Amino acid sequence: MTPRWIATGLSQDLPKAVAMAGHWQGQDLAVWRSATGRVQAWNDRCPHRGMRLSHGFVRGETLACIYHGWVYGADGVCKHIPAHPALTPPATIRVAAFACVEQDGVIWVAPADTVGAPVALRGLQPLRSISLTCDVAAVLAVEPALSGGDALRGLVQIGGQACEVCLLVQHNAAGLTLHALCAVGVDRIAASRWVEDLRRRAERKGAA
Amino acid sequence: MIRLYDYVLSASCYKIRLMAALLGVKLDQEAVDFHPGRAHKSVAFAQLNPAGTLPVLVDGDLILTESTAMLVYLAQLAGRDWLGPLDPKSAAQVQHWLAFSGRLAASLGMARLHDMLLYEGDIDAWRAQGHAALRELEAALSERRFAGGVWLVGDAPSIADIACFPNVALSQDGGVSLDAYPSVRLWTRAIRALDRFVEMPGIHRLHELRPAPEVA
Amino acid sequence: MIAPEVLNEWYPVAMAAHIRAGQRRVTQLLGQPITVALQGGAIVVTGQGGALHVTEAFGHVWACPGTPAHPLFPIPEALETGRRLVDVGVVRVKCSPLRAVENFLDIAHFPFVHTDVLGAEPHTEVNRYEVQIREDSDEVWATKVTFYQPQAAKSAEGGIVTQYMYRVPAPTAAVLYKTCPVRPDAWDVIGIFVQPLSEDLCDVWPWMALYDDTTPQADLIAFQQMIFLQDRSILENQIPRLLPLDPGMEIPTQADLTSIAYRRWLKKRGLTYGAQMVAA
Repeated sequence: MTPRWIATGLSQDLPKAVAMAGHWQGQDLAVWRSATGRVQAWNDRCPHRGMRLSHGFVRGETLACIYHGWVYGADGVCKHIPAHPALTPPATIRVAAFACVEQDGVIWVAPADTVGAPVALRGLQPLRSISLTCDVAAVLAVEPALSGGDALRGLVQIGGQACEVCLLVQHNAAGLTLHALCAVGVDRIAASRWVEDLRRRAERKGAA
Repeated sequence: MIRLYDYVLSASCYKIRLMAALLGVKLDQEAVDFHPGRAHKSVAFAQLNPAGTLPVLVDGDLILTESTAMLVYLAQLAGRDWLGPLDPKSAAQVQHWLAFSGRLAASLGMARLHDMLLYEGDIDAWRAQGHAALRELEAALSERRFAGGVWLVGDAPSIADIACFPNVALSQDGGVSLDAYPSVRLWTRAIRALDRFVEMPGIHRLHELRPAPEVA
Repeated sequence: MIAPEVLNEWYPVAMAAHIRAGQRRVTQLLGQPITVALQGGAIVVTGQGGALHVTEAFGHVWACPGTPAHPLFPIPEALETGRRLVDVGVVRVKCSPLRAVENFLDIAHFPFVHTDVLGAEPHTEVNRYEVQIREDSDEVWATKVTFYQPQAAKSAEGGIVTQYMYRVPAPTAAVLYKTCPVRPDAWDVIGIFVQPLSEDLCDVWPWMALYDDTTPQADLIAFQQMIFLQDRSILENQIPRLLPLDPGMEIPTQADLTSIAYRRWLKKRGLTYGAQMVAA
């Protein structure tokens, strides 16, 4: 079964007043953080001329499209059309929002009507998001200490020590993205090199 | 004045325009009809640069045809902080990234010329090499972030960052997305937010750096 | 199956100077392979089914894969003495050829995409202008268009309110007339000729006919390439890649009157190659 909540990025990679691309299953999303820190995920398409809103710019609590500067407020409703500065845009011009929560340093997205919260990841710190051109089976095949489907978890050897890791799986057209977390206190540089090594091994396995 | 033989869509020429702008050095820019005129391959241009490549930087009797050498020259002249820290390790790392920028040009840069200006070649190979280079850059920048750093070498931007920035920031022109490289994206933003930063086509303005105009 | 209305139109396929210099261009038109080459002093465009109708105008080679419904549109200004005709070259864009034309007809994006060159905040307002489909020529025209420009052209110093007229004389070609900085009584003419390689991939050939005796050729080309390449990253990121012709998929405003007329004109004439008819 497909989980409702999908990790689409790590909080550390989305500073204030920045927009980035995300996705839920095949749905492209514009994920953005306002100046005060609020994170939202919207359909990645400006209703005016279809431009990706993830290319847009954040001013205060609004996201604006890079094409014509149309400004959307926190509710997804168009607040301002620069070509017509005196006009109050009709409330029907709005961008569809997804549910979006930030928890344990992970940005999770789900369809708007989703109830409940994503799985809690206590005792873990965010590490890196990393993309692979292989499938989950290849990852599990080269790292038997890991298990799971949507979240690969286990105790692995990092720098000669057993370390708890969690790799949140996000499928995409080119393969998958793993949003990696590791136990608090583990050297993140060593853990990052472990993830790189895991990717090399898994992709080789996947290609074989 | 220092003269730059320039082409507006060239990532390598942009390196020099950007470096000069950040340093506050004014260049005498001479546009070369690279496309469609192929003026850089003309007999007349070969007198200046037999390799027929752009950019070319001329200052008196000095003629430079390698963009990384131009970065060193401009930084030596106008802002030695941009050379990066001078301890052995850092100095070597700066050289590493200057050389690495050549790999970016040979992969992401060629993919861009293919997709945009119809250069012929193995587009799949160029993109794959581009992704391989971006993975190395992402890994290095992630480690820098874990150590509290922003830039490729040291605590301030250097010629290493400027050398690598253009072909990375323009990678989507060649069909290579930066979506899978969050640390690279944040690093390109940090460069774009620098005081006196200048754009080139394909790298748009960070409008968020200025407040919204008052609505009349 | 491509509609005859589409096949019977003219499309740009090469820069004439390149072919005249002996270059051979192997390319595509409406999804079919074609070759543009010089044969016995004449430019010939060959497709799978043989030679295509060919004409040469405004620095470019134009081909019609069907039976031409009409001669290629004229640009009378191209014949005026004293104008410099500038071939700007080709840029490939991963978008519908119709999206490329529509973007060329749009001014509201200037402050955000051509920042500090063709537009700048806070001068974002698009004043009302006039749009019509001219019965005699069956062309879309927008007139009395004005917009504040910080640097209106290579030869312009400082900001001015620039006047424009836009004209769509063919499904994948558009011509704009804008205030000429050195000749207030004349218009500069800039064309965009779009070669539909397929429904969502195109080669774009900008072209200019200017009154400007002083600016070096390379600077004129660089300026126009700069402008068009600023648009390219927009065009490659519009969803869907095809141009939606059904209302409801996208929301236009008064500033988009030219685009609205262009879409209606395409639909009415059945020129739907590169268009999406039903909202997905």
